[in-house]
Amino acid sequence: MIFIAVSLLIGILIGVYIPLEIPKAYTLYTGVALLAAIDSVFGGINAQLHKTFNIKIFLSGFFGNAAIAAMITYIGTRLGMDLYIAAVVVFGSRLFQNFASMRRFWLIDRAKNVEADKPKAGPDGHTKDK
Amino acid sequence: MNKKPGIFALSVVCILLGLVVTLQLKSITKINLRNDSQLLRAEQLQIELKSEQEKNEALYEQLIRYKDEIDSYRNSATQTDGYAKVIAQSLINAELLAGITDVRGQGVVVTMKDSANINTGGLSDSYFVIHDEDIQKVINELRSAGAEAISLNGERVVSTTAIRCVGSVVSVNDTKYSAPYVIRAIGNAETIENALLMRQGVVDVLTQWGIEIDIKKEADMIIHGYSGATSPVYAQPVKK
Repeated sequence: MIFIAVSLLIGILIGVYIPLEIPKAYTLYTGVALLAAIDSVFGGINAQLHKTFNIKIFLSGFFGNAAIAAMITYIGTRLGMDLYIAAVVVFGSRLFQNFASMRRFWLIDRAKNVEADKPKAGPDGHTKDK
Repeated sequence: MNKKPGIFALSVVCILLGLVVTLQLKSITKINLRNDSQLLRAEQLQIELKSEQEKNEALYEQLIRYKDEIDSYRNSATQTDGYAKVIAQSLINAELLAGITDVRGQGVVVTMKDSANINTGGLSDSYFVIHDEDIQKVINELRSAGAEAISLNGERVVSTTAIRCVGSVVSVNDTKYSAPYVIRAIGNAETIENALLMRQGVVDVLTQWGIEIDIKKEADMIIHGYSGATSPVYAQPVKK
């Protein structure tokens, strides 16, 4: 857990001090890809908690979802539709699902001192039920 | 926490995530700031412009009201007594020549357009546009041909009217106009047209530069009066 927080901080510090910037034209794509990435990270943390973490699934989900989200946005701009809304809705709802699953684990399952059963969470951390 | 590669991968990914999130935030705040400051300045200017326009309108309405008052005084004067009638008539004549009232009669409409020729010889562009001197020459010619009322693009030319080049447009009575310039003149249409079309006359010389001049005679046209302020400050009437 601490590693993750520290590495987040490192990333933020690098971002603050690097004189780089994302050109205005691309901010939409990076925004959507970021949402997908954050959802993957939450999924990864969830999987860690439920001990179903799979590094391959995590990495492929992280970069794959981000890439596909950006691609959908791009296709949307070419077609003249706001297709990024689809990505936003899906990843947003998965974020809440993952967070709900984590909450249940922390507040209920740990309190009961029960190990989360594997069928509850898939390998990338996304639950089938709410 | 179980696997080492798991944590390592998560950490690398988190560094990347933190980096991109911060970059995105930086870019977006900069863009918003830039938009805001530009918009603010434009908004400010818009507000100022609007207030000036409203003031202008209010003053214009005041002017119209005063003119109506004066009209009503004049009407009552003409209806009362003979001497007042004579004075009123000379007032009407004076106002007509001064250019404050609307007038109608036969006359000529002169339309001047910039040269349509393309500047091929490397000459300065000023050779191909209409200058204030050209307009002044035409108006001078109109006057010498007996025009009694002249207007340029709707602005009545009065004794205090200045026609000047301002950048690429012409300013008449402190209002800017651009080509094409439409000059209306009331007088003897035949005489005026002939005066303009004389050989080596104004139209002849100007068309040599490629400036398009179009003259049309009208049997009945209206020229509006000068709508600006008319109180002299330095000139005082001499008591006879």
